[in-house]
Parts: sequence; structure tokens; C-alpha cells
Amino acid sequence: MRRLGFACLVLLVACRGADDSVVVYVSHDQVFSEPILRDFERDTGIRVLPVYDTEEAKGTGVMNRLLAERNNPQADVYWANEPIRAELLKQEGVSESYRSPSSQGIPAGLRDPDGHWTGFAARARVFVVHKDIGDPPRTIAAYSDPSWRGRGVIANPLFGTTTTHMAALASLWGADSLMAFLGLARANSVVMSTSNGESADLVAQGAFAFSLVDVDDAISRLRRGDPITMIYPDQAVGGLGTLLLPNAVLLIRGGPNPENGRRLIDYLLSPETERKLAASDAAQVPLHEGVAVPPDLPPIENVTIMDVDYTSMARLLDEIQPLLQSWVESQP
Amino acid sequence: MTMRLEPGERVALLGPSGCGKTTVLRLVAGFVAPDHGLVRIGDEVVAIDGRIVVPPERRGVGMVFQDLALWPHLSVHGNLAFGLRSQGVSKPEIERRIHEMLEMVGLGTFADAKPTRLSGGEQQRVALARALVLRPHVLLMDEPLSSVDERLNRQLRGEIVRLQMELGFTLLYVTHRADEAADVAERVAQMDRSGGLGGAVTI
Amino acid sequence: MRSERAMLVLAVAVVGAAGLAPMLAVLAESVRVGGQFGLAHYGVLVRSTRQWQLLGHSVLLASLVAGMATTIGLPLGVLMAKTDLPLRGTLAALFTFPFLLPPYVVAVGWFQVFGRGGIVGDWLGPAVAERTHAILFGLSGTALVLASCLMPVVMLLTMLFVRTVPPRLEEAARLAAPWGATFIRVTIPLILPGVLLGALIVFLLALGEFAVPMFLRYDVYSVDSFTRFAALYQPAVAAAASVPLGLIALLLVALERLFLRDRTYEIRFAASAPDVLTAPLGRARFVLLGVVLLLGAVGVALPLGSLAIRSAAPGVYPEAFARGWDALVRSLGYAAAGATLLTVIGFALGYLIQRRALSIWRAVDSLTILLFVLPSTVVGIGLIALWNRPTLGAVYGTAWLVLVGYVAQYTAVTSRATVAGLSAIPRAAEEAARLAGAGWFRRVALIVAPLASRSLCAAWIVAYLLCVRDTGLTMMIYPPGGDTLPVRTFTLMANGAPPLIAALCVMMIAAAVIPLGVIGLVFGDLRPGRQRAKAAW
Repeated sequence: MRRLGFACLVLLVACRGADDSVVVYVSHDQVFSEPILRDFERDTGIRVLPVYDTEEAKGTGVMNRLLAERNNPQADVYWANEPIRAELLKQEGVSESYRSPSSQGIPAGLRDPDGHWTGFAARARVFVVHKDIGDPPRTIAAYSDPSWRGRGVIANPLFGTTTTHMAALASLWGADSLMAFLGLARANSVVMSTSNGESADLVAQGAFAFSLVDVDDAISRLRRGDPITMIYPDQAVGGLGTLLLPNAVLLIRGGPNPENGRRLIDYLLSPETERKLAASDAAQVPLHEGVAVPPDLPPIENVTIMDVDYTSMARLLDEIQPLLQSWVESQP
Repeated sequence: MTMRLEPGERVALLGPSGCGKTTVLRLVAGFVAPDHGLVRIGDEVVAIDGRIVVPPERRGVGMVFQDLALWPHLSVHGNLAFGLRSQGVSKPEIERRIHEMLEMVGLGTFADAKPTRLSGGEQQRVALARALVLRPHVLLMDEPLSSVDERLNRQLRGEIVRLQMELGFTLLYVTHRADEAADVAERVAQMDRSGGLGGAVTI
Repeated sequence: MRSERAMLVLAVAVVGAAGLAPMLAVLAESVRVGGQFGLAHYGVLVRSTRQWQLLGHSVLLASLVAGMATTIGLPLGVLMAKTDLPLRGTLAALFTFPFLLPPYVVAVGWFQVFGRGGIVGDWLGPAVAERTHAILFGLSGTALVLASCLMPVVMLLTMLFVRTVPPRLEEAARLAAPWGATFIRVTIPLILPGVLLGALIVFLLALGEFAVPMFLRYDVYSVDSFTRFAALYQPAVAAAASVPLGLIALLLVALERLFLRDRTYEIRFAASAPDVLTAPLGRARFVLLGVVLLLGAVGVALPLGSLAIRSAAPGVYPEAFARGWDALVRSLGYAAAGATLLTVIGFALGYLIQRRALSIWRAVDSLTILLFVLPSTVVGIGLIALWNRPTLGAVYGTAWLVLVGYVAQYTAVTSRATVAGLSAIPRAAEEAARLAGAGWFRRVALIVAPLASRSLCAAWIVAYLLCVRDTGLTMMIYPPGGDTLPVRTFTLMANGAPPLIAALCVMMIAAAVIPLGVIGLVFGDLRPGRQRAKAAW
């Protein structure tokens, strides 16, 4: 038995990364990111050693691991599922500037001016609306609009992209105005669900008229034939615009395989990767113009994007946390 | 084998270890049933042909075990009160009977002590008191004095006889020592290794 | 004598380096503010109302879980070990099953049954499913799921301890009272220290659990402090945040040492009686069987069966294998290597504790137990803080660190199993070998270890199970590209298709059970040894 165990140990050690490898920490859903990384391995012959995060913004995830390893970096690349974390890591000095040739054509607002992180393949925050609604809501103000009283549902703002969305609104309006808006929404009988997926299901079942969800929640239900439509909110001239949460990729300062890291970044930022992510169930909007998208996903050229500052969002994310907490707990 | 005890009599069951003396007691107590044959207490058949008719708690039988089997988590008082409570005796009556019983065995001041803190002789008396406080018609004793020293052994023999005379229960006393049997009992039944009773009735 | 000392000291040193040093590293990190000693990180914690609230949530959840596990586990344990309930062996195995799996797998199973769109909805209509869904998410569901996972701890300990109750004590009670009163006033009070120990272990395991509260959306300290709060992304604050959980564990282990340990031994006086008394249930046995079967069906069979049902679609298993095969192979490798290492080190420590071979035996025993109940996140943070240095690159970022983590967290199990095994071996066996001139190594290798072989096999198996189901610790320290199946499944749960997740969960169940079956076939019936191993607790 001991000998067997020793053999196992030897095997384990033998599995350690060789020179021709790249270590990537991934916060994007493994279901969607893993195939991309496998394609990279196949196309380049560079072995990818990934560490995946658990559910977004939760788990003692790779973000903490990156910070803990700051003085002895183990990773070459970090694939974040939104830019706020990337921005934080930049501020903590974990990342290194790298302007990939593939970043050409990505809108300036969706990448770091200093070149520390670059956005790609964005999740859009969209409305799902039940098919039977004749004149659907076109702005998130519908949540506080008495004519939609009791018809709107939203995921718990303490979790996931809904939290990020709140931070974005706070960065545009200020935290007080955000809370005033949420207060009005509460008074307007807005119901809170546990997740975006649940929100979309509730709308599909006809229990509610509309909800703010991630684009992939809407697309997956559309593809399965649920009676819903998808709307990009706040597209009117001078409106807020639709919130886009791009993936962001950054190069780790002092990582073990910087050259392979850059190659991986080039690969991730390429239009081809964006096309794959758009076509997958992740349904992410490509940031390069002219990338072929499935028919149910509008191309980026046609979308008014919410203009947000990720630095202030990073700061506000923690500031609004207790406010959101008390809002959640005050629900009747 | 057949064995018959008269009400209020003291009988010792004598024999070498391993001959089945303890099994006889367990048959009477109701922990086991005879494969064939029957056990009768008073007019009632309590077990017959592998079947227990009357469970131990309804036989009116008390027992003192070889290792005493005092409950270590309960005080002396608790050890005595358990059976009384289970039989639905009223609270003041429980207190009265425990007090009386402890006085009778000379442990009046030990009610609140944990049995593990007592000496061997004191533990012996608690075990006796626990069995007798329920006023059994029959008391079974399984080598109760095997673990005390010679002096105490002799002294306790006398006390057992005194208590039996005071309370009038029927005593079946198992031992492997002839002198002990002779001191405690009015009759001695001798068991041999095969489990048969030799000289069914003596003295 | 010298080789004995050297080996034991070496084993203690290994556990000290693997387990104690990371804890100290956490402490050291948490009181370092800008390179100097300071308590500022604790100040942040103490002032944060959110942290207090979450700690409250954690304690509430852990208390509920411990309460439910005891309320159900104690009667079940008595039923299984002390009565003539039909099928009791099978039922005991059924109820034990969830404990062998990562708790979140069980949570996924419950979700497939009671969640929206689950089996309950199919059978009883969406309105009922809406209700059960609401119960499943939040405190009530989290507590129920964790209770179903951890209840076996109390049940098994009860089954074990009732076997140590001298039958005479129960017979003495049976002369005056029926079995019911005997159980309530004699048997159960006698094993109460053991039951409380079980409840304590459940409490501490629930306190450190984070995957289930995360999945069922109940905010607890162990989740939040390491994410949102530590999401200020300061490892030192995260370290400080982990200290309260460590302190709670330390406090409870100390209390157990003070009040329970001695009382557990008190009841072990000479019990010459051969066997365990069994209470006949009479006509009630079929009613009770019905109740227990219902409990087993709703709490165990349905949730785990639903995983198999949900995953049974064309193309699901090929994808699950494509997604999880390498992780499965690694899981088996890590677990086998971990269990072997744990058995060797646990044997040395168990020998040390049982023979009191070094004066620090009591401290060693307490340390391993503290490490066992310490939340995995605390151990993980400590291991990173300690090992993540350029000079230690040969261990950090490799599978070695995972093994170090297993040794840190699970040695108590193998050392206690060894203690139990050695207690059953007459000392004279070793002393005779010594008189015959055999050195320590020869004595241990040729006399002691073979005599304790059943316990050692049992220790290996339990260690294997704990390693193969480990999620929290492995997730924090696995090498890049070297994750295990529980970790892989857990990360795939974010937006993974439910059938795929269910299939991966079924693979995990197989990973836990099939190797056991093989070992069982090779080594024969190990159950008595297994029970003895558990008796060590």
C-alpha cells in the first residue's frame, strides 16, 4: 500500500508544468471558457494549466489567490469575467501593461488606458419581457413606474452581475440616488428573486412582465422556445445606455511564462474567440466590429453602451454593499 | 432440571463456575426464556417454551448483579428512584421509601453521592438497596460478595440474612463458596458441570 | 529506543509543519499592519456590523444543523444498534451515504427533487414545488441539507457508544422498567458524552462548510468573510477574519477535553458480558420501519436517485467524461496518495498517543483534532501564507501542497483509528517481542502493525473518503491544471447544464464507492474494523 502511494506521488510530481505551458486563472464560467482554452492548446501546442473560479464574485476564488501570490506569482494570465476585478488587480500592482495587437478595434471605454487590462466578449444586461406584453418597457425606470406596479422582478442585488449593475448605476447617479430609486422600486412592489435565471423563468411563466437579466439568461430561454422577447434597455437618444460587462484579460507581473501569456492574451482577444463566445450559450456580445453573431444577438454597432468608469465602480462596490444589504432585508 | 422455592425462604445455588447458575437467575429475572419448559412465579407462568410471557419489569423480581451494575451517571438517590418512578410511585412516597431503605442498609447520609465515589462495601449496600426498594417478592443475588475482602464478606452475609428476615422476600442466592451458601441460606441446591441439579433439596 | 523516538518526533514534526505552522502563519499575518505589529485588521472586523451578523448566521446555522442531526441521529442510532428493526444494516448504510459525498452534491440532489422544476413539481404540481423551493433556499434548506449530510456522524457515534454500555446496567433497569424508560434514563444518559461529541463535530463541520450555503444562498461567515469582505482583497484582513472561526473551534475542542473526555472513560468499567442487548420492538417494528423508510427515501434515496435520473439523457455521460475524466483520475490519485500518507503518519501519532510515548502526547492529540474541525478555508489561507514563497516553489503550486493540506486536516482520523486498534492489542505482544531482542522497527513492522491491520485498513478507507470528497481545501491550493473532480464539478456548476452537473455528481459518487467496493472484495469484510476506527472518537 505504501509503495502504491509512493508511485502516485511520483506521478503527481511528474505532472508538473513543463516549459511549454501557460498558467491561467479564470473567473469566467468554466463551462464556456474551458473549450476556448482547449482550442488554444490545440492551435498552439502550448499546454494550458488553468485554475477556475467558483461562482462569480464568490468562493475563495482565484482573485484572492492572485493577491496572495503577489510576491511569488504562479499565474501568467488572469481571465476576469468583468473589468472591476481587473481594475482592482491593477491597483494592487499584480498586473503588467500589455497592449495586444488583437486589442485593435475594441472600444476605448472597454479597456484600460494604461494597457493593464483589455475587455472582450461582453455580457449585456438586458430586459426579458413576456411575449404577451403589447408595449414593453424600454428603460430600467419601469421598475419605479406606477404603470408597471407589481409587474417587475429583479435578482437579489447582493449577488453577481446584479450587484455590478447597482455599482454602475451608483457610479452614474451617486449612491444616494441609487438607493432612492430602489426605494421607489420597493414601493412599486418590485419582487426579488434568487438569481437572474430564476427571474427569466418567472417572466417566461407569465408571473411577471419583465426583468433585468444577463443576456445569456435571455438567449438560453429564447433558444428553448420560451414565450419571451429580449430588449436592450435605455437605448433612446440621450438615455443611460445598456450596461455591458466585458470579460477582461490581464498579464500577471512576474509570471513564470510571460511569452506564452502574451500569446494566450492575443488569442483570447481575437475576433475568432469573440465569435465562439457569441455563438456559445454564453451569448456574449463581441466588441470587435464585424464579428459574425447568431441572429438572436444584436451586433455591438447597433447598441448604445452605458458609459461607466470601472475605477469608481470598484470603489462603490464595497460602499453600496451595506446599503443593498439593508434594502434586501427590509423586503416585506 | 426442576427447582421450586417456597415463599419467604432463602435458597443458595452452589456450583463451580460455568455450570449455568447465572443462567438460572436470568431465566427467573426474564432476560432469557427457557428453550423448553416453563418458569412460574407465584401462580403465574412468566415464560414458556422459548417465549417470555411476562417481561422482567412486571415480575416483581429484584436482582443484585455480580458487578453490581450501579448506574454511574446517577446518584445513590437516583439509582434507587429510577425503579420507583418507572412503577408510577408518587413523589412523596418515593422519598419516604428511599429514605427508609437507605437507613435500613446504613447509608442514610450517602443519598447524593455518586456510586463511583463509594467504597466497595458501600456500593454493595447501594446495589442491595436498589433491588429491595421496589419491594420485590423474589430477590436474586449473583455472587454479590465475590469482589469484597473476607472480613466484609462475612459481615455482609449477616446483613443480607437480617434484611431478608425483616422484609420477608424469597431469596435465591448464587455462589461458588460452600461456606457462604451455608451462612446465607436455609437450603442449598448443588449444581454440577452438566447443569444438572445434584441433590435437589438439602438442609 | 532511539529509533522509536526519532520516528515519533519526525511524525510530530510533519504534522506540526503541515498543520500547526499554517495556523501560526495566519495569526502572524493577521497582526501585521504595514510591516509592524498591530490589531488594525481586527478593528475593521469588530466594527463591521455585517461581520457580526454573518458570524451570527453561521452560529445559528451550525446550531440548527447540530440540533437536527442529534434529534434524528440519536434515535436512529439507537434503533439501528439496539433493536430488532428489520433491514437495520441496510438502512444504516443508506443514511451514512450522504456523509461520503461532498455536501454540495447532496444539495444539488435536493434541488433536483425540491427545487423549482424538480421531481416534486412533476409529481405534485408547480404550486407545491414553489413552496418546497422557497423552503430549500435560505436558512431552512441549508440547514436541512447539511443536517442530512452530517447526521451520520451522530448516528454512527450513537451506534458505537451504545455498544460500550455494559448490558448489566440495562438489565438492572429492565427489572423495574420497560425498554423505553431504560433507553431514556439509563442507556442514553450513559452515552450522552459521546452523543454530545458527535453534535460538537457536526456543529464545527457545519460552521466551516461554505459550498452548501453558497449554493442555497444563505449568507454565512465562512462564505462572506473570504469573498466579499476579503474582497477588499487584503490577505491580512482575510487572515484576521478567519481567526474567529479558529477560536470557536479551539474553544469547543477545549471544552470537550475538559468536560466530556473524562466522562466518556468513566463508564468503561469491566464489562464481562458478551454481547449487546437488543430491545424487541414487537408490533411497533413495522410502524417504525415505515417511518425510517420514509425518512430515508425523502432525505437520501430521492435526492441522490434524482441525480441519476436527471443525468440519464443521451450524450450527457460522454460530455461528463470529456469534461471530468482527467479530474476524476487525479481525484483517485490524490486520495489514494493522501490516504496512504495519512495512514503512515496517523499510525505513528496514534502509537505515540496510545502508548503515551512522548510527554507531548496529549497536545499532539488535541492539535490533530483541532485541525480536523478547523474550517478548510482557514487551513487553506494558512497554507498559502506559509508556503507561497519563491524558495518553496518545489511544493507550492504542485500536488504536494494538496497532500500537505490533507495531512494537516485529516490526521486526527487515522491517528484515532490507530489508537482504537492499538487499544485492542495486548501490550504483552509487543513486550514479548522486545524481550526476544527485536528493535522498535521490527516490533512495529512485524508485530504491532499486522495485529492492527484491520484498523489500519479502516483508517486508510476513511482517509480516502475524506480526501476524495474534499472540496474546500483542495479548491484553494490545487496546482494549475491539477484540479479534482469535486472542484471541477463545483466550478462547472456556474451555468453548467443541470444534466451535466448531475452526471458529474454521479461520477463522484462512483469515485467514492467503487474503490471501496473493490477494496472490500479484496480484503473481505472490514466493518468491525471500521467501527473500531470510529470508536476512537
